[in-house]
Amino acid sequence: MQKKECIAMLLAGGQGSRLGVLTKSNAKPAVSFGGKYRIIDFSLSNCVNSGIDTVGVLIQYRPLVLNRYLGTGEAWDLDSSDGGVHVLPPYATETGGQWYAGTADAIYHNIDFIDSYNPEYVLILSGDHLYKMNYDLMLEEHKAKNADLTVSVIEVPWEEASRFGIMTEDEEGRIVKFSEKPKNPDSNLASMGIYIFSWPVLRKALLDDHMDPNSDKDFGKNIIPRLLSEGRNLFTYHFNGYWKDVGTIDSYYDAQFDLMDENSGINVYDNSMRIFSNSNIYPPHFIGENGVVSDSLLSNGCVVEGEVNHSILGSGVVIEEGCVIEDSIILPGVRIGRGSRIVRTIVNEDVTIKAESVIGEKDGEIAVIGAASEFAL
Amino acid sequence: MKKTIGLISANYTSNKFGALTAKRTPASLPFGGRYRMIDFPLSSMVNTGIRNVGIITPYNYRSLMDHVGEGKAWALNRKVGGMFILPGAIYGIRSEGSKFLLRDIITNRRYIDHDDADYVLFCGTNKVFNMDFSALIEQHERNAYPITVAYKKVEKGEKYEGLFFNLDDHQNVTGINYTAEGEANYFLDCFVIDREFLISFMNWFDRLDYMDIMEIVAGELGEIGVDAYEFTGYVGAVNSMADYLQVNFDTLKSSVRAELFETERKIYTKIQDEAPALYRPGSRVKNSLISSGCVIEGEVENCILSRSTHVKKGAKLENCIVAQHAVIGEGAVIRNVIFDKYVEVSAGVHLEGSPEHPLVLSKNEKL
Repeated sequence: MQKKECIAMLLAGGQGSRLGVLTKSNAKPAVSFGGKYRIIDFSLSNCVNSGIDTVGVLIQYRPLVLNRYLGTGEAWDLDSSDGGVHVLPPYATETGGQWYAGTADAIYHNIDFIDSYNPEYVLILSGDHLYKMNYDLMLEEHKAKNADLTVSVIEVPWEEASRFGIMTEDEEGRIVKFSEKPKNPDSNLASMGIYIFSWPVLRKALLDDHMDPNSDKDFGKNIIPRLLSEGRNLFTYHFNGYWKDVGTIDSYYDAQFDLMDENSGINVYDNSMRIFSNSNIYPPHFIGENGVVSDSLLSNGCVVEGEVNHSILGSGVVIEEGCVIEDSIILPGVRIGRGSRIVRTIVNEDVTIKAESVIGEKDGEIAVIGAASEFAL
Repeated sequence: MKKTIGLISANYTSNKFGALTAKRTPASLPFGGRYRMIDFPLSSMVNTGIRNVGIITPYNYRSLMDHVGEGKAWALNRKVGGMFILPGAIYGIRSEGSKFLLRDIITNRRYIDHDDADYVLFCGTNKVFNMDFSALIEQHERNAYPITVAYKKVEKGEKYEGLFFNLDDHQNVTGINYTAEGEANYFLDCFVIDREFLISFMNWFDRLDYMDIMEIVAGELGEIGVDAYEFTGYVGAVNSMADYLQVNFDTLKSSVRAELFETERKIYTKIQDEAPALYRPGSRVKNSLISSGCVIEGEVENCILSRSTHVKKGAKLENCIVAQHAVIGEGAVIRNVIFDKYVEVSAGVHLEGSPEHPLVLSKNEKL
């Protein structure tokens, strides 16, 4: 195998239980997003747009949709004979098999994979954030500072800092303290869950951590504190673009509407950092005689005979006559029966909503409708 | 189904599309908001299970090659079989009217000689349909004629351009005509031929290689048995600018879309990775097809917009067919206009063609 300077390892095995029915049969990174995308598209596209052509995707929970979606990696130009996308599930050995016990454990079990590319650096990513980032700039800084680990951080409002993993740095940007969801934060630099490690350092830390019976085998809880205590060179990388975790229903909902907002800071219409996706082939969407669409995002293959306002329709969504869809996110393959009124609602993929259904309230909680809902056919 | 290889003939041009075909072959004319004409025969072949498709290219094949590439979108980037680009025979000379020039086949005969297929399926590129060719191929096998042509019954032959068949009671072709009046059996530029027979045919008529295969067949009907297969699905025949407008607008009908696009047999095309279309507050869209990447701030009615069309505030678009990346300035009013790619219309411009004679804006035109 040709030596790679930097390869990416994308943690995509988590369930994402806070997304409720959306992740009932689907891992979080494979949840539909923004009409035609799946959440993992953003990290994968960032890799390609940053010149990283080798990505290991660590899977575990409900991998069917994710596996099928990734395919050969062709949709992201990652179908390469020398690199490309590699799906890495837990596996059995002569002494038995184990599930990945934590984020660090998942990487530990794939040391062979990383070694086969003999990289200088390993980029660790999680597949559940919305952002556009050039990882190469971060790598340059990592090299310039001769760091062992660089953690990408973003300034968050002080009052929210206690919800994040917080990095405290000195005036040179050296990380002096890491606190997971601190009650009284002394910094507002939140870790974005994006790490660049020098591979020999990470390799050793993973091996050491594996021997520790008390470890949770987690990057935040174990690996970073371990490196800090060893006095390694840990630096922050300050990212000041748009970044949002999409792990809760509220943030998943808000982040998608950010795609429509010119001032949000995330722009999927900008072709310099294109977001690729493995979208199905659909014809353009059709707005019928009685269709009314305003302030919305519509994907290919939709047919709209009703009214759609401030909403996002995924690929192939059908809105029948007399419907009013407002402040809602309708995932791909959904059909909304005639005369329905859907407000502030997320409808999961491929669900058919009965005619005359009334779901959601303008100022209420976000309703999430899956196949088991009383409104579903 | 016996083994069949496909041969799409794109080495043909027409002066009836004006500026739209000045620099491209009709095979790569944009269609239906995201497709090119060649997508229909090509996808139909792939969906029929044909994994070996040759494309005979015209001399101005840049746009065609840009579109089909190595056949990835049709899963034709194969180790075994796949897509073959077969250069047309005559450099610099446009073949008008003729779609299956014998010389094009002979020039590329290695493609036919060096395969073990039973049949060769020929297809032109100016008919829009989504055909499951297996019924055609099965009939060809069952009736065992050397050639089986596909046709559609049309009510007014005089409205169509191409070939028409006289058929006897057994659906055998007894005559081939260039014009028709009233009800007619319209050739779909699509036929199956035994591969062995095609090889003999090339040898026999090698000195008539400037002729169209169908022209030769017309003169030899007594010697060559030709069977006919009736296709009853939707066919959009695109032979002129007026046809182009009409057949594009046909896709606004839900029955036509259902047949072309909403079946399991998908029409594949080059993937472009545009973001979903964005409708700003105040947009009004009616009876239109809108592609990804479009930004709609104005009004659109009875239109087909290709990807990344930007309709700015107060602009009005009616009965238009717009190729990719057009920008329509604020307050512009535009009716019955066909846009080629990358056209920019400034704010406040009024443009109006008629349904019979649409205005055509050339590629990169700025108004």
